[in-house]
Amino acid sequence: MSDDALSESTGFDGTRLFKVLFLAAVAVFVATPLVATVLGGFKSLGELRTNPFGLPQHWVFENYSGILTTARYWVLMRNSLIISGLTVLLTLITASMAAFVFSHIRFFGRALLLNYMTMGLLFPAATAILPLFIKVRDLGLLDSYFGVVLPQVAFGLAMSILLLRRFFKDLPDELLDAALVDGCSYVGFFRFVILPLSRPILATVGTIIFVHSWNAYLVPLVMLNTDRLYPWPLGIMVYQGEYSADWHLVLAFITLTILPTIILFFVAQKHIIAGLTSGAVKG
Amino acid sequence: MSFQMTRGRRPAALAARRPSAATPASAGAFDAGKWTAILLFLPPALLLFSLFVVVPVGEAAWYSVFNWNGFGHPTNWVGFDNFRAVFANRAFGIAVRNNLLIIAVSLLVQLPLALSLALILADRFRGAVALRMLFFMPYVLAEVAAGLIFSFVYDGDYGLLAGIFRAVGAEPPYLLASAQTSMLAILIVIVWKYFGFHMMLFIAALQGIDPSLKEAARIDGASRWQVLRYVVIPLLYPTIRLSVFFAVLGSLQLFDLVMPLTRGGPADSSQTMVSFLYTFGVMRMRVGFGSAVGVIVFVICVAFAFSYQRWVMRDE
Amino acid sequence: MSMIWRAVAASACLALSASLAAAETTVKWLHIEINPNQVKLWEEVARDFEAKNPGVKIEMSFLENEAYKAKAPTLLQSKDRPHIIYSWAGGVLKSQVEAGVLEDITKDVADLTPKLSPAAVAAFTVNGKVYGVPYNMSQVGFMYNKELFAKAGVDGSKIATWDDLLAAVKQLKAANVTPIVVGGADKWPLHFYWTYLAVRIGGKAGFQAALKGENGGFEGETFVKSGELFKQLVDLQPFQNGFLGAKNPQAVGMFGDGKAAMMLAISSFYHTQKALAADKIGVPDDKIGWFNFPTVPGGKGEASDTLGGINGWLVTKDAPKEAVAFLKAFVSEDVQKKLAAGNYIVPTYLGADTALGSAFMRNIAKNLAASKYHQNFYDQDLGPSVGRVVNDVTAEIAGGTMTPKVAAKAIQDAYAQGN
Repeated sequence: MSDDALSESTGFDGTRLFKVLFLAAVAVFVATPLVATVLGGFKSLGELRTNPFGLPQHWVFENYSGILTTARYWVLMRNSLIISGLTVLLTLITASMAAFVFSHIRFFGRALLLNYMTMGLLFPAATAILPLFIKVRDLGLLDSYFGVVLPQVAFGLAMSILLLRRFFKDLPDELLDAALVDGCSYVGFFRFVILPLSRPILATVGTIIFVHSWNAYLVPLVMLNTDRLYPWPLGIMVYQGEYSADWHLVLAFITLTILPTIILFFVAQKHIIAGLTSGAVKG
Repeated sequence: MSFQMTRGRRPAALAARRPSAATPASAGAFDAGKWTAILLFLPPALLLFSLFVVVPVGEAAWYSVFNWNGFGHPTNWVGFDNFRAVFANRAFGIAVRNNLLIIAVSLLVQLPLALSLALILADRFRGAVALRMLFFMPYVLAEVAAGLIFSFVYDGDYGLLAGIFRAVGAEPPYLLASAQTSMLAILIVIVWKYFGFHMMLFIAALQGIDPSLKEAARIDGASRWQVLRYVVIPLLYPTIRLSVFFAVLGSLQLFDLVMPLTRGGPADSSQTMVSFLYTFGVMRMRVGFGSAVGVIVFVICVAFAFSYQRWVMRDE
Repeated sequence: MSMIWRAVAASACLALSASLAAAETTVKWLHIEINPNQVKLWEEVARDFEAKNPGVKIEMSFLENEAYKAKAPTLLQSKDRPHIIYSWAGGVLKSQVEAGVLEDITKDVADLTPKLSPAAVAAFTVNGKVYGVPYNMSQVGFMYNKELFAKAGVDGSKIATWDDLLAAVKQLKAANVTPIVVGGADKWPLHFYWTYLAVRIGGKAGFQAALKGENGGFEGETFVKSGELFKQLVDLQPFQNGFLGAKNPQAVGMFGDGKAAMMLAISSFYHTQKALAADKIGVPDDKIGWFNFPTVPGGKGEASDTLGGINGWLVTKDAPKEAVAFLKAFVSEDVQKKLAAGNYIVPTYLGADTALGSAFMRNIAKNLAASKYHQNFYDQDLGPSVGRVVNDVTAEIAGGTMTPKVAAKAIQDAYAQGN
């Protein structure tokens, strides 16, 4: 089928066979749990036990439809969307403004401040989770979207600023000079020149922040107490706690909650892969 | 707002063109515009970062010398007792061992797996892109979802593993319910979840390699293996170092995956440092004790990052 | 024409007053009840209360038991905290009082408390002030499946001593029946064994002495021996496969499905096992048996001593007055009798136990009435931190990763640290 493709050699080749088998094994290892989860949601509990792998003998649609018709699922999705959306928005605004200053304006203490912000790359939120909880509590932000959003923004700033600054710096200095001469202010330059030119990097940073926030567990777990505000990773854990033995329901719930991620991944896969890997490399 | 500032600086711009204008005033106006931008643009990021990142980390160090349940103010000074208690805690010892185990598996299993897959999938052939996507997909899923999916896989009654065992007529194991196997089960999930990410790092690097380098080596009579060993891999060293860096820092912070699988149990056998912090610090609101754990994890992370950057990544 | 206008105006007025009324007060009530049948009754009580008290809305929310315990410390610090929360009293309650997150309701419930079981009210009294309203009492004991017992030739009513229990386990195993099911991942179901053994071995005096640090505290002989006896049982491998990974609702469901012969259960599981069984029927009344926790020869505890819970509702700081009013309606004679008739609870309201519907629950009520020493669950009684340690170490004994001696020492260390 793809003789010339796998390697430059022609005809039968032991290495090639090995490669194919290796890829197949890894593919099975990766795909099986995912496929079984989706299919499991279509089975009854009894069938799940006797037939965990195969296609359902009797397709049960009630598991999925039951979840989709309750408010519970949609509330989780809405909360996650609000939290992630706000996080992305605030991160992009604050980080791009700071990155602009760090890349285009020279002033005393710039290097120092930049180093200060970069330090954030090394600070995992988990290590300071207790003081963070107390800080959020004292600000009266427990049980609010912002109690989750603001810490998430803060912890994503360092990487975002670095990525954005790298991009901004590559924009030619002449642009700024010309703009200033033409009477454009720094603020105007940022708003009307830099930002429109930076759409790709803003999208990349936005993607990284969104995925992290969408999947985040620890910070919402500590800051939120009412299921009214729970994002889906918390909601799915609660659901599993409630229906611990009803695996068919839990599997359907898992499938439905990861569905948005998977759809997003297929729609914007190039962007997401590039974003997440470049974020890592350059950050 | 921007309009006002634009007006404010117009004289400066004009001044640049007309040497006769008074320089000090124009320089001042020019500066003012610059400082307005700085004062407008920097504080939001600085403030958020300081308030929610730097201050809490500092406070963790402060709280760690108190015995405090989080209400009122910390007053019960206990010196280094919390640190002593952390190090004396059996579960913390297990957690440290587990974190080392995760690092070892990340380096010895996940990295070679990712690298060899990258070497295969970096070539263009039908299906390569689809496989890359498939392998990368677990990385995009939330840790919580991955953990729940695998708690189904491992379930001794309904799980996939149990299905395999029953198919061959064996008694299904309960991997997550035994102190001997819980960590093994988690390590498998870690590899499943993260190898695709490292693979993508390598693929990106491989695609950046100038093909003429490989061709030149081939023309010089090098075998395919020799090309790999002496041309390609050395060119990947920076990426490998980077991948190791992420693997280690990620391993040190592992938490989300543990909660849905085992919550650190049974008998703390699958505790990581952060799940230990959560279980013994947050859940019991022992702010001092938990902060001490946080400080320890933090110091380990920073020490690792600095020494790694200094000794291993100094070329870059 | 004017008629129409008047109607419009009237309806607008109505709508306005309705929206005003709706905006008045919401009482947020957080519970952990997983039995949907019982929750349905509670909802009826809430709707009923709303009907009688216009302008008050009772908003129920649910957290799973473990999630609730894990959340409680952070939950209570939120300004948005629920107004009524579930409680097992004991040391956890005390620490919450000390933290200042609860409302002193002594005066508000003064007319109700004399009508409730004095022991239950005492459990919710700290430093002479009442902080909660108890609504249910429970006893821990062995719930068993008569059919499976018969299959192995074991007579549940004859199990009186610890050795009887061990013998029964052996017999059940020989007959290929899983002797005991337990939700080991939640740890507290395992701590019942260790705690109840301590109740049997040391009696009330033993526990009081340990609290004062006498006789070696929790490191003393009583508690080491509790661990050793528990280990005897563990060594027989009496539990279902993978018990350390099973959560309590799963275990209760398994019992309901008839997959194991016994369960060291809270008496309310009698009803929960029906709700959590796959067929929603569970083990029927004529097949379900109960025997009290076996005695230990030479133990100082009396056979009538009980381990169990006293469950109630706390009112959090700054909760609206309606929260207390609702609690009083919820723990009224009427509602208590209704819940008793459904066999969901052993009522705290004096005299309401006459309404108990099943022989099973009447037996529990009788045991509780006869008990002179009712020990609250250790994991609640000893406060949030020490209680967790008790759960941890008993799970470790069950997993074979800790010796009884080390386990006892760990508890004493935690207790001495007083945290």
